[in-house]
Order: sequence, then structure tokens, then C-alpha cells
Amino acid sequence: MKTNKTRRNFLQQTSAWAAGAAAAGTMGLPNFAHAGREKELNIYCWEGYNSDDVLDPFRREFKANVKAEGLTSDPDAVNRLRAGETKVWDLINLNNPWARELMWPEGLIKELPRDRFEPMFEKMMPAFHPPYEWAMDKTGKHLLGMTQRFGPFSFVVNTDKISRKMAEDQGFKLFLDPKMKGRYGVLTYDNWNIYHMCIAADVHPFKKHNKAEMDAYTKVAKQVFNGAKLLTDDLVAMNLALINGEIDAYFTGGTYTASPARFDGAKQVRGITPNSGPMDGKGGIVWIELTSVVNHPQISPLAEEFLAYVQRGDVSKKVAFAEGTYNPVTQMGAKDVLALFNKEELDAIQWDSLEQEMANSADYDINPDYAEMYEIYSAAKREREG
Amino acid sequence: MAERAGKPLMQWLRQPGVLAAVPVTLFLLGGFVGPLILVWWYSLMPPRTFSLAQTPTLDNFISSAAGSYYISFGWSLYLSAVTVVILILICYPVAYGMAKLFGKWANLITLLVVLQLLVSENIRLFGWVLFLLKNGIMDGSALYLFGLSVPSILYTVPAIVLGLVYVYLPFMLFPMVLGLSMVPETLKEAAFDLGATRMAVFREIELPLSSPGLMIGGLLTFVLALGSLAESKILGGQRVIMIADDIESAFTFAQNWPRGAALSVLVMVISGGLVLLLLLRLDLDRIMGRR
Repeated sequence: MKTNKTRRNFLQQTSAWAAGAAAAGTMGLPNFAHAGREKELNIYCWEGYNSDDVLDPFRREFKANVKAEGLTSDPDAVNRLRAGETKVWDLINLNNPWARELMWPEGLIKELPRDRFEPMFEKMMPAFHPPYEWAMDKTGKHLLGMTQRFGPFSFVVNTDKISRKMAEDQGFKLFLDPKMKGRYGVLTYDNWNIYHMCIAADVHPFKKHNKAEMDAYTKVAKQVFNGAKLLTDDLVAMNLALINGEIDAYFTGGTYTASPARFDGAKQVRGITPNSGPMDGKGGIVWIELTSVVNHPQISPLAEEFLAYVQRGDVSKKVAFAEGTYNPVTQMGAKDVLALFNKEELDAIQWDSLEQEMANSADYDINPDYAEMYEIYSAAKREREG
Repeated sequence: MAERAGKPLMQWLRQPGVLAAVPVTLFLLGGFVGPLILVWWYSLMPPRTFSLAQTPTLDNFISSAAGSYYISFGWSLYLSAVTVVILILICYPVAYGMAKLFGKWANLITLLVVLQLLVSENIRLFGWVLFLLKNGIMDGSALYLFGLSVPSILYTVPAIVLGLVYVYLPFMLFPMVLGLSMVPETLKEAAFDLGATRMAVFREIELPLSSPGLMIGGLLTFVLALGSLAESKILGGQRVIMIADDIESAFTFAQNWPRGAALSVLVMVISGGLVLLLLLRLDLDRIMGRR
């Protein structure tokens, strides 16, 4: 009996609490729903923008509650927006093609006021001066985002073992040389691997492919995997293997992956951009990040403020040297921003060859045969011999 | 009739035990069964789609069977089996010592084995990389002390097995200790009194009576190893692709959720089949000492 009584009391108490909470909810909810988002900002970005070094000064200056989540794949992020997360995020930071090719046509992002943001492009490196193609929609009327970090991304060698000149001259063919069997790794950023395998097969990665091109790609995919000593998606593990002599080069990589090792003093780790290749003569690829305002039904006014904030010189430097990887930023086109980087930092991001590497690289784009090529890629990886 | 049939059901529902179990049941239905049903349902959706409201198809299973996924399944099953056999050989003597011989020192071993679980698996595996790496701790020390270089097993299949054995050791050891500690000393004494040899006691008494612990340990480690990913990635340099790796790729880079779901279902069927097979041969109540 005693137990029953206690249980009844407990139930009475809980229902009272529940009723109270419900009442508070119904009273509080409309207020919450109508509350503006003046002091709230949610950012979905590649690692770096979610660093406290970048976010904390903004939080203090704007007394804002900023939340940032790192993303690991562009298509994943786009799918999350498609699945309804436009109600969650205010800003999205992805590689260049997605805004123009997908997010803008699908209504997932908003345009930026050109009068406020276009002058900022004027201060960037010459290649990014307005109208910058990837920041505009296909009609050239709407500004879709701001650029900042970018970097050539092809492959990485240990220059103590393979000279920079030889690597640049041979390009991705280096990995098809029988002498390289067992001497290189594949950094399994799967989408990038596919593009680079296309280049190694003398196939343009960003165009529709015929059967002969698919066959050439298939042959190279198998050859690259069969000759690799290790596969990993961890750039630190890959750099370690390169420095310790397990391997002499790795397939897929660039400033983004080599810079942490270089900044630690391993200057022999170097991102290489081939001198020539099948993309209108170019053999390397460069990625450019674009940060856009999400088509949030209740967009935070801080979204545009944040875009302007990260363009400041000192903040640009923090973005370039945020946690994990180090990358050039478009704002280095301004002398006062460039002056903020010391010799070691410039050397880490291969500033000496950046212009040449950019000239030899095609811009990252979407591969129309990605799904089919991925099947071939994953089968080649699974069926790897040796 | 309906009223009469309804009454016992209502009475049953009103039992305090049933009522108290409702929140947990709902939680398990929503948090555990729900996602599993979603995965099963996704596996029947057309390839490379994201909506659940489409006509079910077996395309994903057919294309998975036609592709070379059998290689990943084969490696995962083979490496899991090898891991279980090695773990049995390593853990049985240790478990025997902990259950019968070490006395209070057994607690120290327990502590040492449990402590490593507090460190993330990836970090522990990366520690092994530093140890095995060319010019790493093992190679470098051998070179410094004895002037000879040790051939590295890093990025090979044996390195993956090393990782699996290392990571899943506690899951074999502790059920085994439990199984062995339930072998009554009196039975062994009686057997010795009747003239049994040490080998006969082991074969006829210790092994059969401790086999539930051994089987539970084996099952746990087999299922865990079947779904493993990090060992092949970090220590093996993906020398072989495990099935969990294929599933991860399908959900991420390939953006083919139905394919990933179909492969997951196949893994669930294999591991579920094994559990059922074992449970048919195993009486859990007896192991727990209820009967």
C-alpha cells in the first residue's frame, strides 16, 4: 500500500510538473518563435572557420552567440540543406562549383548585396577581381558568395627523393611509372582521387566522357591502387609516412595537406602542380572556397556581418592559419594583408610557386560522370592486388 | 466476445510492471528499432535516391551481389575469424590465471586492461603506427641499439590482425574469466581423485564448463571485428577494404544511401544469423546461474 501511495504521489507530482512545463511552453513558445535572431549565427563550414581564433573576436564584438559545425564533404552538406537544414544554418562554406551550379538554382542560398560586397573583391588577388565567375550566378547578375581560402591540389612529393622539376614535368604520370610501385600512397579523398585519375589518364575530369575515356580512366584507377603502398584519408598519417621514408610521394594532395608538415619544418614535403595536362593544357586543379548566405526563413542579420568581418586583414590571416591546415587566402592580394605573414608562414603555403601553380591549374568543378566513375573507383580499390 | 477478449488485455496493460516499462519500450522503439527499420527500408529504395516514399526494389541487393563486394565481405569474415582464433589462444591462459591462480593480482590485470579502454581507439592505433613505422620506435631503436633494420609490417594484413587482436582483447578476456570462474573446484578435485590426468580434467571438465564464456567472447569479438574499420584504415593502410569501409563510402562519397543500407542489411543478417545460431546452442539462464 505504501508503495502505491508513494507512486500515486509521484505521479501527481510529475503531472503537476508536466502541466506547469506545458503551460510555460505555451506561454513561452510564441515569444521564442517571434524572437529575432539578431544575436545568433549558425555557420556550416570546412574546418578553420569554426576555429575559436576566428570566432571569439566576432562573438565579443557583436555580442553574438555563434555556433559553427565543420563539414567533411561538399555533396553531404548540400544534401543536408536540401533535407531542410536551410532552417538551421545562416552561412555555408563550400568549394566553388556548388553555389553557382546547384545551391542557387535550387533556391538554397540568397544573393549578397553587390554594392556592399563587390568592392571587397577589388582588394583580392588579381585572379579574383570582380566579376569573379564562381561568385556569380550564370546570368552574371547575382553575387552568390565571398571567396577567401584556396589552394592548388594535385599531388605531394618528398623533394629529397623526387625533384620538384621532375615531378612537375611528369605530372600524374609519375604514379604510373613501374619504378614508383610500392613507393607512394593514395590520400583517399575519393572525389579528388577520381579527378586526378582522369588527369593521369589524359582525360578532362569535368566534361562528359565517352567509352574510350572511361576505359582509360578505369585502367589508371586500377594501376594507381595496385601500385600504392598505403591508402589513408588522414593527411597527418600520410605526411608522417612521407617524412619517415615509408613512401616518396602521395597521390592527391597540395598546399592544404603539405602545409602542416612544412610549417613543422619538413620543407621536403611539397605540393606539386603538373606543368601540363588534359584540361586545355593544364594538369592541376585548384579549389576555391565560397561562403554564401543560406536561404534561411529567418536569416540572422549577422550573416552578412560575418562575411564582411572575415575579409578584414587580421581575420584573413587567422583564417589562413587556423587549426589543422594552412592555406593561402585571396585577401593576400592586398599589401597590408600580405605583410602580416612572416617568411616561415609564406614558405609553409608555398607562396614562392603559388602564381605558377595557379596558372597551371584548372578550377575545381563538377564531374558529370561522377556516379559511374565512383563505381569503377571503389571496385578498383576493393580489388586492389598485392 | 470482443469485450471478454479485451478485458484480460486491459488488465495486463494496467499492471504496474507493464506501465513502468512503457517509457523504456517507447524509447527503444524510437531510438533503436526505428533506425534499424529505416535502414532496412532504405535498402529497398531505388539506387542514389534520398526519399523513403518510393516503390521498393531489390536493385541494391542485386547490384551488390553482382559487384565485387564479396571481396570485402570475404576479408571481413576471414579477418574476424582469424582474430577470434588468436584471441582464444592468447586469452585462455590469461583468463585461467585471473580466475584461478593470480588471486588479488587479477584485479591489477583487470585494471590494466580496462584502463586502455579509456583512450580512444584511433589514438591507440596511431600509437602502434608510431611504433611500427619505418624509422619509428621499433625500427629506430633496433637500428640504434643493434645496428639492424627491422622489416616493417605496417600497411600489411598482419598489421590489421595485430590491431584487431589488440583492440578487441578485453571483449574476449572478460567473458572468458567469467566462464572459467564458474568451473567448480570440487568437480576438478573429484576428477583428480578418480585418477583423471591434467589433460583429461581440462578436456572433460574445464573446457566444456567454461565454454559459454568462450562462446560469448568469441561471438562478441567476431561481430565487433566484422564491423571494424579503423584497424584496416590506420594500421593496414587499407591493404584490404573491409565491408564497413564500403558501407561508409556508400553513405558519404558515393552518395548512394540505398546501396550503403543494403550492405548494412547484409552484415546484419550475417551477424544476426550467427547470434541466433549460438543462442540455439547456449542457455543464457544457465550461464547466469538462474537454473
